Amino acid sequence: MSARGRDPLSGRTAVAGIGATEFSKDSGRSELRLAVEAVRAALDDAGLTPGDVDGLVTFTMDTSPEITVAQACGMGELSFFSRVHYGGGAACATVLQAALAVAAGVADVVVCYRAFNERSGRRFGAGVQHREPSAEGVALGWALPFGLLTPASWVAMAARRYLHRYGLTPEAFGHVAVAGRRYAAANPAAYFHGRPITLADHAASRWIVEPLRLLDCCQETDGGQALVVTSVERARDLRHPPAVVAAAAQGAGRGQEQMTSFYRDELGGLPEAGVVARRLWRASGLRPADVDVGILYDHFTPFVLMQLEEYGFCGRGEAPDFVAEGRLPLNTHGGQLGEAYLHGMNGIAEGVRQVRGTSVNQVPGASRVLVTAGTGVPTSGLVLTADG
Amino acid sequence: MASPATAAGRTPTTNCSHCSTSPAARRSSPPTSGCTSVVATDCEQQYLRPLRPGDEITYDSVIESVSERKTTRLGTGHFVTTRTDVRAGGTLAGTHRFRILKYAPARSGGGTGRGTRPRPVVNRDNAGFWEGVRRHTLLIQRCTGCGTLRHPWLPGCNACGGPDWDTVEASGEGTVHSYVVVHHPPFPAFDPPYAVALVELAEGVRMIGNVMGVPYGKVRVGLPVRLEFRSYDEELVLPVWSARGSRQPVPGEPAEPPGVPENALPPLEIPVTRTLIVAGALASRDYQDVHHDPEPARRRGSPDIFMNILTTNGLVGRYVTDRLGPTAVLREVAIRLGAPCHPGDTLVLTGTVESVDGDAATVRVIGTNRVGRHVTGTVTVTAPGEEPS
Repeated sequence: MSARGRDPLSGRTAVAGIGATEFSKDSGRSELRLAVEAVRAALDDAGLTPGDVDGLVTFTMDTSPEITVAQACGMGELSFFSRVHYGGGAACATVLQAALAVAAGVADVVVCYRAFNERSGRRFGAGVQHREPSAEGVALGWALPFGLLTPASWVAMAARRYLHRYGLTPEAFGHVAVAGRRYAAANPAAYFHGRPITLADHAASRWIVEPLRLLDCCQETDGGQALVVTSVERARDLRHPPAVVAAAAQGAGRGQEQMTSFYRDELGGLPEAGVVARRLWRASGLRPADVDVGILYDHFTPFVLMQLEEYGFCGRGEAPDFVAEGRLPLNTHGGQLGEAYLHGMNGIAEGVRQVRGTSVNQVPGASRVLVTAGTGVPTSGLVLTADG
Repeated sequence: MASPATAAGRTPTTNCSHCSTSPAARRSSPPTSGCTSVVATDCEQQYLRPLRPGDEITYDSVIESVSERKTTRLGTGHFVTTRTDVRAGGTLAGTHRFRILKYAPARSGGGTGRGTRPRPVVNRDNAGFWEGVRRHTLLIQRCTGCGTLRHPWLPGCNACGGPDWDTVEASGEGTVHSYVVVHHPPFPAFDPPYAVALVELAEGVRMIGNVMGVPYGKVRVGLPVRLEFRSYDEELVLPVWSARGSRQPVPGEPAEPPGVPENALPPLEIPVTRTLIVAGALASRDYQDVHHDPEPARRRGSPDIFMNILTTNGLVGRYVTDRLGPTAVLREVAIRLGAPCHPGDTLVLTGTVESVDGDAATVRVIGTNRVGRHVTGTVTVTAPGEEPS
């Protein structure tokens, strides 16, 4: 990598294995079982065994502790375990944690995982009505008594401001949904396999929280996804070509809140994504124009638009046209709108497949992929590249 | 509706003229078998002309619809909608649309105790804000180091890091910086669709709050609003934002009709006594046991007898005519019931004039009790009355 040497992490590690359960609305088994199945699948994909693993990383929100996953997978001693906070914002940061550990020599093989019964168990979309009076609870508590109780309601506040600022209507969000569902329709692993939608379907779908319609909101999913991270050198000896971690970064903005960053200067953007973008471009030595595929976290369509602007793919307020014109292959697995809501971890897996050349919606010759994590919260991102 | 002089219509086939389906409904909907309980959910009445002594009254009822099987908080069953047309001397004098839920009670029973708004989340860092709200003052934190105002409350300044602060009282003026309209999912304490705004105060800080005084569909970015305080139950006072009458046109937004200044009606508190519930049920010819006999009420999962919908309907109409004066004449009353009213409750009715068109006014009425929202509805009145008094 051209960036190697300038950034201490760039190009040192790779994603060597990916594995997932099926994506469903009712898995019929425990979250721990899903985590274990996904971890085993990722290790099989890499050609490694549980005994090779000495590090595990997951989300603070995950209910399956590293030590329990290790036990149930048949792993031995661990020398690195870590969790990342802020919901889906953690996704790419699990790989950052793993890469840091491997690059620093703290661990050799680190598995990142996320598994939940988010549809059949505790649904995020069902909303929050009570929080303990911790600092986190208090932060969200400013919204709850007034009926702002769901992720959709929190995102809608920023989405409204985006529409207002650029003189747009809610139909501007439709192209993101249509593009995601088009790719999902061709992806047998996607929940919405074989079920594309049109702009008219989007515009006709019912309001969830204005200006967000049903088809602006991702689905809810039961499932698990895991990723194996190791050094580039070791990855070269494994089963698949390495997906090199050319850059990995986290970011939080000034005045950052979790989903309710209503009090900072401008709601129509995602400053935390801007922090990640600057770090990724600097570390990787790439620019937006160099990116072959974008896997942009799509829990809600408006935040895909804002991310495109924060990452510099287009100017402010131009993202609806950018998406409508299909200027960048976006969320080729179908995204969380179409494939599954796995808190962004399934998007990283798709980034790996694109670099390997094995996606069902393969972009010919793709070798540089941007993957992002949950937005509206402190977030993270990755640039994955082909080796050499 | 006035008492009919004579009733030539179909006689009710069961002991409740309002809360039961006809044999035809039962035939058309076999799955209602097993639906042993009934509760009225909606009542819409139009009063086209008054009834006078000597009028010959006829009425006929049709079943407008029977819903698919639905699972509600009370249980699983079917919504049945009927419409009754009342004629005086062959001329339509009024219409009465009624929706009931016939259901098999959920095992957990009545579902009382829910329906209150989520509480503010209070700890040592923000207690001062909520204490202020209880005293009907809105306090903004101010850094005593650099003077920067801030909201939400935090024990330090994001501008300079200073730990010390005092407060200033908000002037109460603000504008809508952004807003949403919540449709889904329904929460028991709220009545979707409803608007939630991010209000930018004149002082520059922003707060989340509900906008009152305009329909949810009329909230816009840039709408000027003014602070008020509202009690939702014994414990909960919240700052709310009332749309100001003299709003300025907002660039890029469609022009809106001028708001109605001072459009909130004074509230009316009604002690819900056992006598009111029983007398109201009997006066509206509703002999369902759950409205007069506590034992069957408890067997059906209710903690006590509860007020029937037509009593609520009457109280809503009375509230509006009381508040708008003796010349106001009811033209339409449409209500939906939420949390039930039991003996010992206090029903607080509040109203907002939503629109005025000629001599007609539309009033949005909300009635709350200690459990939550008992009734929401819309009342259309004309004034001055066209009829001889």
